[in-house]
Amino acid sequence: MENLEKYNNAFVEVFGAKVEDLNDNYGKDTVEEWDSVHQLSLIAQFEETFDIMFDPEDIMEMTSYAKGKEILAKYDVTF
Amino acid sequence: MILNLDKWKKDAVAAIDSQGQQLTYGEVRDFAEKAEHLMPARSLMFLLVENNVGGIAWTIGNICAGNVPLILNAHLDEGLYNSLYDLYQPPFVCVPEAVADKYDYEKVITCYGYTLMKTGHGACPMNNELSHLLPTSGSTGSPKLVRHKYENIEAAALNISTFFELTEKDRPLMVLPLYYTMGLSMVFSHFYVGATVLITNLNMTDRNFWKFIKEERATSFTGVPYSFEILNMMRFYRMDLPDLTLLTQGGGRMPKELNLKFAEYCRDNGKQWIATYGQSECTARMAWLPSKWAIEKVGSIGHAVPNAELSLIDMDGNSITTPNTEGEMCYRGKNVTMGYARSREDLLLGDERHGFIRTGDLAYFDEDGCYYIVGRMGRFLKLFGMRVGLDECERIIKGKFPGLECACVGTDEKMLVYLTDESKKELVKEELVSRLKLVASSFEVRIIAEIPKNEAGKTLYAKLENK
Repeated sequence: MENLEKYNNAFVEVFGAKVEDLNDNYGKDTVEEWDSVHQLSLIAQFEETFDIMFDPEDIMEMTSYAKGKEILAKYDVTF
Repeated sequence: MILNLDKWKKDAVAAIDSQGQQLTYGEVRDFAEKAEHLMPARSLMFLLVENNVGGIAWTIGNICAGNVPLILNAHLDEGLYNSLYDLYQPPFVCVPEAVADKYDYEKVITCYGYTLMKTGHGACPMNNELSHLLPTSGSTGSPKLVRHKYENIEAAALNISTFFELTEKDRPLMVLPLYYTMGLSMVFSHFYVGATVLITNLNMTDRNFWKFIKEERATSFTGVPYSFEILNMMRFYRMDLPDLTLLTQGGGRMPKELNLKFAEYCRDNGKQWIATYGQSECTARMAWLPSKWAIEKVGSIGHAVPNAELSLIDMDGNSITTPNTEGEMCYRGKNVTMGYARSREDLLLGDERHGFIRTGDLAYFDEDGCYYIVGRMGRFLKLFGMRVGLDECERIIKGKFPGLECACVGTDEKMLVYLTDESKKELVKEELVSRLKLVASSFEVRIIAEIPKNEAGKTLYAKLENK
């Protein structure tokens, strides 16, 4: 599976989102369910899928679809 | 004055919130005096709070002034608010200023970010000892309320500040809601010693939450099991928080592994880890496990808080005096509340418990007198004549599959196990079958989207079908 597909899947799993609804505006400010539980579930998904371990700072920053990609790039996950 | 409030310097800081507001002890006293004149004496009010300085000012100010607030979540569901409002018909309602326009009542005054309104309902006759009311459940808005008296506040403040050895230098971080008994008792116990409460409504995943802890140099953190699950996922252990020296847990049993993880982290980093036990019927804390036993006796609730007593009784009501014998845990202490209210008339009722309560928890104590909760009374099934503890089954499942969400309910015909993870359906069943040595047909595993829980993270079993 391509990284992008894996990335999208995490959002589908956590938010029940449709892939076509995912874009750079998708995030804490636009998605009502986006609370700390969802944010941490997303983190857990990424860590498992990409076999990485985030720093606390990055966990706090994981607040949108766009930000997530930026953060993952730091862990050598590219799209 | 209640809670020693007159003992502290006028400009000593009582509370700071993460919006940058601050409240001094002098301001608390002044506001208490003012609150006396805002309403007729002994007025019943609904106080809808957020976790901020204003919420604390209005709560403590009104209790001091002799008004009786029912403290509620400012974001309580409208339907639940309406059912409580119709039932208790409070003459006054106080809400955050920002949402005041949603209500049709006559505005009286706005201060500390909250607006007091007059509803038009007449005065409510209440018992003289009644100090404040809390819902029995933080989020479901059950119409059943816990009736507290002034003596409960003083007792809880004294007991809690004694065993945590609180001083005016303490700066506890308060993430628990003010309308939740353990959150409110944090305010009581810290005001009692003149400390500074750091209160926040920020998400623990929010960068500003961590900024607040660091900048305000929080000295303690109090959470429910769920709070520590979040801290765990946030890699709390890697954070540099030298001022934070005390972590305390209450609000239900914490998974053993997680409990140990925090206990060991605290031991290795010069911090204290103190697990506690309490109920809203007893103004929060009733028992605590001293940190010296945090690892050795992990899972124990320790012994009674100072000035109180735990005991066990058997099925016939006789006292149990031998270690390792299960019975219903009972508690005696001045923090035992007066009883419940289910209607407006009930607010006139006096103390129905006289300092004693049967907790409804099944427990035993060890040779050192430390108590261990086994489960809730009644949370047991008889499957093929064998007594099966539902709480025990949940522990078996969570022990085998860490992090898995589950809830067990059922009848004597069949146990139902609710899971949110379809992939573990068969594995969980196999585990229960092999551990309990019962036939597979005794169990049915159902998959649901989410285990219903209250805000403290306790499972709401009543919301799950039991057959």
